[in-house]
Amino acid sequence: MKQSPRLNQIQENMQPGAFTAHGFLGDDDRALKDILRQDDAEVEKLDLSHAQIAGRMQYFTERGKELLDIPVTVDEDYEVLVDDHRGEIPCPFADNQKAIKTNTRFTNKKLGITVYWSDLNIHMIRYHGFYEGKGSFFRNDPKTLARALGLI
Amino acid sequence: MKEIIITVLSITGISTVLAVLIIIAEKFLNNYGECEIDINDGDKNLRVEGGSSLLSSLAANKIFIPSACGGKATCGLCKVRVLEGAGPLLPTEEPYLSKDERNDGVRLSCQVKVKGNLRVYIPEELFNIREYVATVTNIKDMTHDIKEFRFEFKAGEDIKFKAGQYMQIETKPYDKVKEKAIRAYSISSAPSDNKAVELIIRRVPGGLCTTYMHDHIKVGDEVRMTGPYGDFYMRDDSDDYVFMAGGSGMAPIKSLVMDIMERNLDKKMIFIFGAVSKKDLYHTEFFREIERQNSNFRYVPALSRPEPDDNWNGETGLVTEVLKRYVDSGKGKHAYLCGSPGMINACVNVLVGSEFDEAKIYYDKFS
Repeated sequence: MKQSPRLNQIQENMQPGAFTAHGFLGDDDRALKDILRQDDAEVEKLDLSHAQIAGRMQYFTERGKELLDIPVTVDEDYEVLVDDHRGEIPCPFADNQKAIKTNTRFTNKKLGITVYWSDLNIHMIRYHGFYEGKGSFFRNDPKTLARALGLI
Repeated sequence: MKEIIITVLSITGISTVLAVLIIIAEKFLNNYGECEIDINDGDKNLRVEGGSSLLSSLAANKIFIPSACGGKATCGLCKVRVLEGAGPLLPTEEPYLSKDERNDGVRLSCQVKVKGNLRVYIPEELFNIREYVATVTNIKDMTHDIKEFRFEFKAGEDIKFKAGQYMQIETKPYDKVKEKAIRAYSISSAPSDNKAVELIIRRVPGGLCTTYMHDHIKVGDEVRMTGPYGDFYMRDDSDDYVFMAGGSGMAPIKSLVMDIMERNLDKKMIFIFGAVSKKDLYHTEFFREIERQNSNFRYVPALSRPEPDDNWNGETGLVTEVLKRYVDSGKGKHAYLCGSPGMINACVNVLVGSEFDEAKIYYDKFS
């Protein structure tokens, strides 16, 4: 099935040079609707929701913000480091939302997994079920992310 | 087969006729003709061709409203009070306007299309903003991710700005970036150096503008910029100042300190600069030299996470903890902060807890 004109426009917004220099899709050549559908199916298989995953990410980011630029140990097993950059970035889904350029480095010390996300990633996962395209710097495969966050 | 070809040709023909009709209709229906923009009850009257945004119509007449997104309704900076003729508020504007602003007729000027006569209010200080084409004359690596740039204006041109204000730079298309981008950066040079401006820019990973500034621009290139903008500048009614910054937030503070020194103002100052490790410190010798020359000035670099081989003997820990150690009471003092929202929020809380008057805490958040 063809992708809607709206998703086409959003996929355009995700290209390198539109909203960011590197874009949101990495080297993923799938249509956006397929990226969304496949990640959605994976989250459903894990018996989770995007909101649950985003909520957990938000929890750790907020804890990291309590100490600026210093790694914080949270709930014994996790280490969080939050870093701010100048400016805000609009959501490529054109929902009139924007996020401060805050990045989180998150480590599950027990599993030895480190993942990265931005405040915009939390928003895009929560409201659009979008985990970025494969090969993108902030791409987080839902299963790996859920494992790192201690959700499965 | 014949029927299919006839059907396809018919649909194509009808579509073409409809497209031509739409183009003709747009030409006539969207021809708004000449419109008048009345600014500040007749102080200025502009006659503009209708159809463009209020932001670009004003810019075409050398009135520059702050805007960091180039008219895409993503920065929310280009607010203007439109008293008449703006039409209904658009959904794209809603997230950026408070209830009071909406009641006051404040609009995002990039979203207001000039379709008829408009009556607007623009603060006087925005009339001082000018457009410059400046040449890059120096690029200095300050840290692994911060550079300082010097832009010199054309012969005969100069700029009048207050220490602490910022410029907006327009970048050119590069690599896969097909459109220009506009971003705001604080001036780090002193107002007396009025034939040029210096800007300190930290690389934002994947940032449209900072990638251009760090990887593409070179000495000799010309850059279009507008300014000066902003209300983060020194108020003279105190003798005791606390300056705090992190990262590229040093820029406006450096300008403020240089300005105070040059004007020989008798002010007591402390500047606390927060960085992660020694590799994130810069201009240290510059501020140490000011410290040596002026007993009223104290420079305190503080590292939140020094590396073992930094051999750091200075202040360590959270910048808020350092602030508590150096600033006991805020009575009668002013504070100027520039850095990330997290740093600013945390420091404001500490300062308010130390008897600073919240109205005397001035800050420039990185947003």
